[in-house]
Amino acid sequence: MEVALEDNNLMEKVLPPDEQEIDVELEAKEKKYLRGEGANLESLKDKKLKTQLASREKLYGKSAKAAAKIEKWLLPASAGYLETEGLEKTWRIKQTDIAKEVDLLSSRNQYDIVLPDFGPYKLDFTASGRHMLAGGRKGHLALVDMMNMNLIKEIHVRETVRDVAFLHNDQFFAAAQKKYSYIYARDGTELHCLKERGPVARLRFLKNHFLLASVNKIGQLHYQDVTYGDMVASIRTGKGRTDVMEVNPYNGVVALGHSGGTVTMWKPTSQAPLVQMQCHPGPVSAVAFHPNGHLMATSGKERKVKIWDLRKFEEVQTIHGFHAKTLSFSQKGLLAAGTGSFVQVLGDSSGGGHSRYMSHPMVKGYQVEKVMFRPYEDVLGIGHSMGWSSVLIPGSGEPNFDSWVANPFETSKQRREKEVHLLLDKLPPETIMLDPSKIGAMRPSRRKEKPTRGEIEAEKEVAIEAAKSVEMKKKTKGRNKPSKRTKKKKELVENAKKTFPELEEKNIAGKKRRIGEDAAAELPTSLKRFARKN
Amino acid sequence: MGGLKRKSSSSAKTLAKSKKKKGPHLPNSILKVIANQKRPLNSDEEDDDVIGSDDEHGGDLYEYEEGVPEEESRKNNRYDRHDNYDYELPEDFEDENVESEDDDDGGNNDNDEAEGDDDDDDDDRHTRMLQSLTGMPSAAFEGESKSKPVLFTEAYPEGEFNPTRDVLEGKNVLTEEDFLAPLEGTPGYQKTSKQIARMRKDTKHVVHAPLPKPQRERLERKAVIGLVDEEFSKWVHLVKKNREAPTVYFNQDVDLGYSTVGAIASEFQPRTDFEKKMASVLNDSEVSEAHRDDGARLLELNEVSMEDHIKDRNHIAKMRSLLFRHELKSKRIKKIKSKTYHRLKNKDLKNSSLGALIDPEMAKEEAMRQEAKRVEERMTLKHKNTGKWAKRMISRGLNVKYDGTKAAIAEQLQMNATLSRKMNSMRDGSSSDESDDEEELNDGSDEDTPSRLIAKAKEKTLRALEDDEVPNAGLMSLPFMARAMKKKNEEANEEAKRALEEYEEWENSGGENSKKTVNVSGRRVFGATAKVEAPKESRKDSDNFYDDSDSDNDMAGIEDNNIEPVRDNASPARNTITDTEKFDDDVAGNPASKTTFDVAMFASGSWKKMTGSKNTESKKASKKTRAPTPQAQDKKGSRDEESEDSESEAEEMVDGVLTFASKETFEVPSQAELINRAFAGDDVLDEFEKDKEEVLNQEVPKPEKPVLVPGWGNWTDIQRKRGISKQMVQKHEAEKKEWEQGLKTRKDARLKHVIISEKVDKKAEKLHTTTLPFPYTSKEVFEHSMRMPIGPEFNPSTIVGELNRPEVVKKTGVIIKPVKFEEVNPNDEVDDEHPRNHQKQRPKKKTSRRQGKVKSK
Repeated sequence: MEVALEDNNLMEKVLPPDEQEIDVELEAKEKKYLRGEGANLESLKDKKLKTQLASREKLYGKSAKAAAKIEKWLLPASAGYLETEGLEKTWRIKQTDIAKEVDLLSSRNQYDIVLPDFGPYKLDFTASGRHMLAGGRKGHLALVDMMNMNLIKEIHVRETVRDVAFLHNDQFFAAAQKKYSYIYARDGTELHCLKERGPVARLRFLKNHFLLASVNKIGQLHYQDVTYGDMVASIRTGKGRTDVMEVNPYNGVVALGHSGGTVTMWKPTSQAPLVQMQCHPGPVSAVAFHPNGHLMATSGKERKVKIWDLRKFEEVQTIHGFHAKTLSFSQKGLLAAGTGSFVQVLGDSSGGGHSRYMSHPMVKGYQVEKVMFRPYEDVLGIGHSMGWSSVLIPGSGEPNFDSWVANPFETSKQRREKEVHLLLDKLPPETIMLDPSKIGAMRPSRRKEKPTRGEIEAEKEVAIEAAKSVEMKKKTKGRNKPSKRTKKKKELVENAKKTFPELEEKNIAGKKRRIGEDAAAELPTSLKRFARKN
Repeated sequence: MGGLKRKSSSSAKTLAKSKKKKGPHLPNSILKVIANQKRPLNSDEEDDDVIGSDDEHGGDLYEYEEGVPEEESRKNNRYDRHDNYDYELPEDFEDENVESEDDDDGGNNDNDEAEGDDDDDDDDRHTRMLQSLTGMPSAAFEGESKSKPVLFTEAYPEGEFNPTRDVLEGKNVLTEEDFLAPLEGTPGYQKTSKQIARMRKDTKHVVHAPLPKPQRERLERKAVIGLVDEEFSKWVHLVKKNREAPTVYFNQDVDLGYSTVGAIASEFQPRTDFEKKMASVLNDSEVSEAHRDDGARLLELNEVSMEDHIKDRNHIAKMRSLLFRHELKSKRIKKIKSKTYHRLKNKDLKNSSLGALIDPEMAKEEAMRQEAKRVEERMTLKHKNTGKWAKRMISRGLNVKYDGTKAAIAEQLQMNATLSRKMNSMRDGSSSDESDDEEELNDGSDEDTPSRLIAKAKEKTLRALEDDEVPNAGLMSLPFMARAMKKKNEEANEEAKRALEEYEEWENSGGENSKKTVNVSGRRVFGATAKVEAPKESRKDSDNFYDDSDSDNDMAGIEDNNIEPVRDNASPARNTITDTEKFDDDVAGNPASKTTFDVAMFASGSWKKMTGSKNTESKKASKKTRAPTPQAQDKKGSRDEESEDSESEAEEMVDGVLTFASKETFEVPSQAELINRAFAGDDVLDEFEKDKEEVLNQEVPKPEKPVLVPGWGNWTDIQRKRGISKQMVQKHEAEKKEWEQGLKTRKDARLKHVIISEKVDKKAEKLHTTTLPFPYTSKEVFEHSMRMPIGPEFNPSTIVGELNRPEVVKKTGVIIKPVKFEEVNPNDEVDDEHPRNHQKQRPKKKTSRRQGKVKSK
């Protein structure tokens, strides 16, 4: 009785609207941390397992709730955003307008670096967003500390640089140069020359697997393990030359865009592509992945940008009217696209697909080469033919960094510690697969190689029935005797049976094995210690 | 006649028996009389008479009178006992009444019965006789005598086991009244009749016959099950709770009990007589008091009585004399010079285990023999009373009866026990140990001469190497043992050889200290590794080299690949293509778009084109034209690079392609070309479809169509007439169906623009389980339970501990006591919140109930 009363009391309590809102918010967060629904325990017959799983689920729920609360109350910063009033449109807001409104620290992130000599620049950020690497086409490599705008090292390699990429931290970076690619240390010393790959067009580093992936001018995809230097895989794509390559951060699958309008996805352990998608009728000019791995954006030369759901491999949205030379997703899911001297940022604010969010026209004649969001900052880096620029895109970066994942304020000691941890947590190349959550699950059943026993028996029965129901010809000259007919029929049935000999054979084999085992088992106990151990 | 006499003297039952035994040969009439007559109980005489007469004249059957069989007479116990279930009267049983009658009428009977047989004619005489004999009125006999014997044809022979006709018909069943009737008038009659009447009324005290055993036991079991169920169901909730608990705690009972020897000893309670005696002495108040006071009283207590003293002395004297005698005996034996005597003695010694102690060789042999015996014993269980003789003895209980047998059986058992006991350490180790000891002794003496030591060791190893003898009998001669021995020997030999080498080295070095030898070996190893490494490096280099060249060659390879299908192609554009082949070869190295222009020129009419890519085979007109755009861009973007690239490949290009290219690039594109460029990608979809088909064909191969091969199976004309055989067609149909099914179940079956490879990645297979782990029965549930990570990186630290708690939490050293019964509310949910307050095991003094430990899994 008491319990019921209490329940009633609870029911009667009406929460103030604020708290209700908070509850809804918390619930949504909780759901995120629950990572999907629990199994349907009703169908379980094993009571013990049922109760155990139920208690497990309870714990999961608790964990998710705690995590949601932590996220709600304890995370220090909140994401930025652009708010407009009335007829104002967010994409009409210029960088100059933003600069007035933001704090001093943020406003320092708006700048243009003009380096007209060494032509279009490629950019790369470290995972923490602290360091940036800029590679000029004509051989200029610069490593910049973005926090204090300090140029750490600047070298000139005096040959074409097609792409640059950081390795696991700011201590090493790779550059794809004219003939070979090279790995440099932070201070600019050349550590390795990667000759095996040939003239590389694009370089990407797979952080969790410590693989340096590259595609060369003749369309060969290489995976090299940077921890011990072995070439893990070298794959001929067979689709011709490409310079569109991106890594899916969720599962480590590498996507290549081809001239035929296809996007192919690869893993190092198979020579054939995991997925081939016909995304565009014309050549694919850029590919980008959402950090959660579910969305992929592609751009075709036929002036269309498409967004794909990678769980269903279906097109989610087509954005007409512009073609992007480079695409990039931010941590919060904004999509930046650069064409010519124009940069556009698309946002998914309402959940109904990406739409125009911001745009940034550059000086005419600047050719945008690469756009890339800086992690943990509301900053978009743009590499172009006249140097590189940095613009503010409110709401693009993750406001709270997790120092276990990436720490922009890392000390050298922490960095060293982290390096060891990363190496210990390194994943083997075979863990790259489309759905990494399937690791540890049941092996997907192969296509049926052997029919089951029941199926064979059913088939056999059908065959026998068919044999029995065969109409006999009416023969003459004494061959139509009933005895002969029955004999013939029997023969037919026997023949039908003969086509299914597997069953017996299998049994015999099983028996034989069993006999062999028994022989060892039947040995007198005293002699068992002399029995040969296999 | 002794047996006969006994039988005739007994009651009706024995009578019937005798009848049967002797063969029934009573005249039917008489039989009927006997059967129908309601005879009074004490009318034995008549029966006896009748029978007697029969006996006298001997029926037409003669039977051999057997004596009591030997088994039954139990003259000896040679035969297996078998029970005689027939009722037998004891031998000395005598019925007084009958005996006297027999004695009385013995003589008469004989005479009378002699007459009785042939009196069919004169009934009068007969009746009279009966009258006189029985003292009954003649009317009683009239009926039978007159009515002629009626022939009864019974379905079965008459006998004691077959009910008579009357009984079957329900008439003439004997009742209590029948028995009582003759007693009427006798003094105790009233009383007995009353008693009987009371008994009849009284149903309470009727004792029924016991139920058959199985039924009885079933009932018993039923009752017991009920009780047991009740007892055990009390535990159900507790057990369930423990099973369902995610963690079971055993960290409460930290009290480990006694920690010192003294504490343990203080709990000691004497149990055996000896212990009790000791305890009584130890705890004697007198002694303890003496201790407390001073030593003086202890001395008093310590005094030995005279008797004890004398006893002691006598014992010692006896021992001494025995020793002396033994000495004398051994001296005498030592003096004996007879060789045979000594030989025999040695043999005895050998046989006894004493010998084994003396001679190691013998010990070894002895051990071997012992082992073989043991194995045999364990295999056969010969001495475990499984023999025929032993079985019989035990079954007869003779082993209890006779001491001899008892002893023999005990001996057998003893032998079995000793033989089948686990092998104890009767190993070669003992001998080697001895020698080792010797060595050690020697070592002490010549410590200063290491060379000698080495020499000695060498000698020893050599000897060990030489005397590898394989025993040719016993257990060791068994093939597998021999194999094992051989292996061992080989190993030992190798080791010995190694040792020898070492010794030699040492000798050669003239007893240099070991440091140097170590150095030498080190150097040697180094050299070896260096040797190995050198070729490795060179190989690696060469690999690199080849790889490099490979990548260079790759282009050429691709080109070759491309060209071949083109050759096969029977398209109308073939001529032009063949013309371009040569150029292709040359241009191959340079994947730049110049090629496309060249080809475009050649195929100007049809827009057929060749690019450097692999897809040449399926290329169509429009595709070619698409290529120039990226190239143009490339050029724009990296004119620098382009020029540098071309430097290296300049020579190749010079072949003439360049000249063509330069001409072509300046050509103004026609209208048709422009249109084609505008819709450049149109055929890309077709191409992709083709690709998909190819991939599908690879992964789910399409079944081949049955083909008619002339001359196979039949002569051609017949074959052609019949066409493809039905069987083949059917098979093909089935395969096709399967193929279609396979295509349908693919993930990309409905996605036209996607090819999802379903190739099995063998390397990734190890990341999946092949079978469901134990408690799970469905894949879905298992995978759902795996979805949440439980590590500290993914969960708040407050929950991580709970998520990763082991099933059993136990402190080391805690004794896990059996489950103690406690009341558990079945509706309580298992709470894991406060494990510290969760008292599952409480320290208890003693739990009489023994219950299995319940552990949640």
